[in-house]
Amino acid sequence: MAKSQTSAADRAGATVTGYGVSYAITSIASALLVVLKESSESVLQFLVAITGHHWVTHGLLVMIVFVAVGAVLARRDMNLSGNALIATIVGSTVVSGLIISGFFIL
Amino acid sequence: MFRELILMLHPTFGVLAVIASVWVFVETLNARDANIARLRGAGVLAAIMMWLAYIVGGYWYVVYYGADKALIKAGPWPFAHGFVMETKEHVFLMLLLLATFLPIAAYGDVVKKQVARNLVLWTSALVVLMGLAMEGAGAVINMGVKVALLAN
Repeated sequence: MAKSQTSAADRAGATVTGYGVSYAITSIASALLVVLKESSESVLQFLVAITGHHWVTHGLLVMIVFVAVGAVLARRDMNLSGNALIATIVGSTVVSGLIISGFFIL
Repeated sequence: MFRELILMLHPTFGVLAVIASVWVFVETLNARDANIARLRGAGVLAAIMMWLAYIVGGYWYVVYYGADKALIKAGPWPFAHGFVMETKEHVFLMLLLLATFLPIAAYGDVVKKQVARNLVLWTSALVVLMGLAMEGAGAVINMGVKVALLAN
């Protein structure tokens, strides 16, 4: 009982954790989509065909994934500590930023 | 005139989002029942300002940037598009998500839970740092156009 209470106090809450993890997943997926669409003309043209501009489609996809994954994960009440969530968010931001900037600098 | 107005509104909304995020950071350092509504309001404000920066900047990028892009690529600073703009337009999508997540984190139990407080502190700090990086990148892109025009 005491362990469970300590664990609950260490968590940020189901909704916050769900959308926090969703941010991490979406930011990494978005960075990988950058590499994919810039490396493959067919993927780029597919994104262009949907809205008329690859960046608009990219933004739309990112928003849909963020909201959808967040809504699903928020209902699961993930067993993730607040500190692990912070590390996940900061880590995914750094890695995604490095993937994107690294791709365009090389 | 309309084109220039949009171009100026984009960084203006971005700066307001950064300022609102600094506000969230400071309120979170002193989070208690008396200021929680203000903290959450600042979080929502930061997200709204970032979305406005996205919509206005996105409209300008899609409709008007093509001419500037051609100028930059033919000018002395082609990296202002090839690296800076390409990176900016895609990292901005992450920043938009993070700014959207900020009010969600602020609606956690920030007053009673230290972890919830730390999460808001980290998130707002990331929004501030990335927002400032976007402003700096915008300045480089602007300079890329300027040096291209001066070179002609």
